[in-house]
Amino acid sequence: MEESAEESMDLCCQDGVLLTSAPAAYMNYINTVGTLFIVEYLNSNRTRCIEWKPNDVTIDSEMQDQEWAMVNTVERRTRTFSETCSRSKYLKVNMIEVKSFRVSRNKQKLAFMDGKGESLCNFLFQHSNCDLLLATLKGILRTAPSRRDKHLHIILDDLQNPETQQLNKSFAELNLFQDPSDYVWGFVRNFHNKPYETAMEAFAKITDIVYRGPEHRIMDDEVHDILNRSLEAIENSTTTHTHDEYEVIAHVPKLPDRKDYPRGRPLSADQWKGLKDPEGRVEDVESVKLMIFRGGISPEIRKEVWKYLLDYYIWDNTNTQRQNLIKQRHDEYNVMKLQWRSMTHIQEDNFSDYRERKSLIEKDVKRTDRTIDYFEGDQNPNVLVLYDILMTYVMYNFDLGYVQGMSDLLSPILYLLDNEVDAFWCFVGFMNKVSSNFDMDQAGMKEQLQHLNMLLAFVEPELANYLKKHESGNMFFCFRWLLVWFKREFNMEDIMRLWEVLWTGLPCQNFHLLICIAILETEKEILMENNYGFCEILKHINDLSGNIDVATILSKAEGMYHQIIEADHLTDSVRLIIGLPILGNTVMIDSKEASPDISELASSSQGADGEEVCYERAISNSFL
Amino acid sequence: MAKTYDYLFKLLLIGDSGVGKTCVLFRFSEDAFNTTFISTIGIDFKIRTIDLDGKKIKLQIWDTAGQERFRTITTAYYRGAMGIMLVYDITNEKSFENIKNWIRNIEENASSDVEKMLLGNKCELEEKRQVSKERGEQLAVEYGIKFIETSAKASIRVEEAFFTLARDIKAKMEKKLVSHVYNDCF
Repeated sequence: MEESAEESMDLCCQDGVLLTSAPAAYMNYINTVGTLFIVEYLNSNRTRCIEWKPNDVTIDSEMQDQEWAMVNTVERRTRTFSETCSRSKYLKVNMIEVKSFRVSRNKQKLAFMDGKGESLCNFLFQHSNCDLLLATLKGILRTAPSRRDKHLHIILDDLQNPETQQLNKSFAELNLFQDPSDYVWGFVRNFHNKPYETAMEAFAKITDIVYRGPEHRIMDDEVHDILNRSLEAIENSTTTHTHDEYEVIAHVPKLPDRKDYPRGRPLSADQWKGLKDPEGRVEDVESVKLMIFRGGISPEIRKEVWKYLLDYYIWDNTNTQRQNLIKQRHDEYNVMKLQWRSMTHIQEDNFSDYRERKSLIEKDVKRTDRTIDYFEGDQNPNVLVLYDILMTYVMYNFDLGYVQGMSDLLSPILYLLDNEVDAFWCFVGFMNKVSSNFDMDQAGMKEQLQHLNMLLAFVEPELANYLKKHESGNMFFCFRWLLVWFKREFNMEDIMRLWEVLWTGLPCQNFHLLICIAILETEKEILMENNYGFCEILKHINDLSGNIDVATILSKAEGMYHQIIEADHLTDSVRLIIGLPILGNTVMIDSKEASPDISELASSSQGADGEEVCYERAISNSFL
Repeated sequence: MAKTYDYLFKLLLIGDSGVGKTCVLFRFSEDAFNTTFISTIGIDFKIRTIDLDGKKIKLQIWDTAGQERFRTITTAYYRGAMGIMLVYDITNEKSFENIKNWIRNIEENASSDVEKMLLGNKCELEEKRQVSKERGEQLAVEYGIKFIETSAKASIRVEEAFFTLARDIKAKMEKKLVSHVYNDCF
């Protein structure tokens, strides 16, 4: 072994440590007591390793060779490792491999994990605990306890590790054309293992070279053209990032820094009173909306202000005009209600579309917010009111009829207003804002999911890229958020606050998509660090319900909005989504590139391919 | 690291809105019944690992929204499924009639050899029954699939239903494997 005498330094060492789990190659040593080390090699990279050596063992050279083979089978990413360390300890794991570690059983158990949540090696401290080791680890790594598992410590970065820095640097400076042999080797190997990612990364690198480094490269015009053309296809693709192996410094410009937008105070009763003229007109509507956007509405005036926000009351009506309007709306409501109330059995029997709507409403009102006082218990009259309003809405807009989710949108309105007719007209106003969510062909939902993906690619390219690689680029896991405007994610108080802010239409169109992105950004670390796949992403997002802080998310989303509009590279496609005038001089995102195509999921590997993999894995694990 | 299961089966629950898909799943995964219902929006799944003839089988069971309108989203989840529970409500004639539509839906979107099973749920509500057990059996025979009447609420035969489906998938899988091996040898 070429560097067997390589100098190293033990940063920490602890005896009486039982190896309880390790890669299959180390099977013979499992349940053996030994000494655990953290070692730093004094090579140029200052590689750090976790090493473990069983008690009283001498090592012959043959053994060492085996160890080499073993080490290389642990993970594919051992390229840098194999160059550096060789020492006569049995188990050796490069710290670069370790993405998290878990401490349990009174600090007697310590498990090191890779980025996929798989364990690399586990130890049991027989005579003491792992405090000493932890202190050492924390001295050399930046870690944070996982939010979901307090025993799990996630390694936030290994930037302090000079080797990583070196590696990043060397890849950033990679010169494709000067010494192609190394690159080609790496490419071929990676291509064999991960064809798609490797190809994309190679493209990204070429992109860089075309963009940045023409000065010392002579390239065929033809090659240049081809590259440029393929560049267009990935024009809006983003930083490519693969398992921390190396990072390609992409050309995507950064957003300006995010500023703080702390939430304001809710619109108060006094302020509201002051905003009306003596006849009861609200004159400065934009100011009212701005105040509501900044801080929401005080509970004592919410009941009244919602009627304006939901276009039931008209802002510049006088008190008298408003009284007339209310009277008129009452009459209209009663007429529509009577239409379905007076339907005979025979009529109903001959009207299947109506029957279908009615049966859905019957089923859904019985299971809408039944845990809150207002709708709780058998024979609750408010459940009946919910039913009556939804049935009347069917007569008001028969084509749309009733779609699941609508009862969720109505429930907080009725809860607050506690009046059938008022709640109906406010519900109508809300439905006018979101009716495309309930399209027969779901076109409105598909479009929003697509817009969400495009916005995410602009604001959080790394996450967008991650989701795309994990079969989640279609954003289906946000379906529930969008369909009922986060109703299932918050309690009653919070959803009222969120909705009133969103109803102002400020600061831009589709601000609810920025709310989604603000939540996703908050979860980004967890999703990516745990290397969650399609199923885990969906589960994680579904399980967020009840654990999102509305004020934090609102200020974050507002900060994002300002970052977007101040970005130099703001594209027309993003402008369109948030309702800014388009300039016509920026490249549109290729719709295929960014579109969460509905068929994507079915045809992606989650579909038949993924299943085959599952199936074959199951077979081979069990029988072969 | 030691694996905690031998097989992973992906199952899917489909059927009209309100037939009790989520409750059947909740009964099977948590052995509980929640009287405050909530309609399913979008899609979710639950996991339970069962023992079957000495093998640990991890069942990943997907629960979908029942309303027709959301099928463009939910059918995207069909393709990976190895087993599908078709659920109707024995107190609701319409949900039974719609089973044939759901079967057509499966044929269009799921893989052709997916294991299917018919569940008539809410069988504790005998006094409200609209669909006789015989009709359920007959329909199942027509499609060549198995049939069980269940009650998520009273915990009747839910366990049996999932075990039966899992056993059939396992048998099918092992049969396939044998034929693969056979083909490889000769």
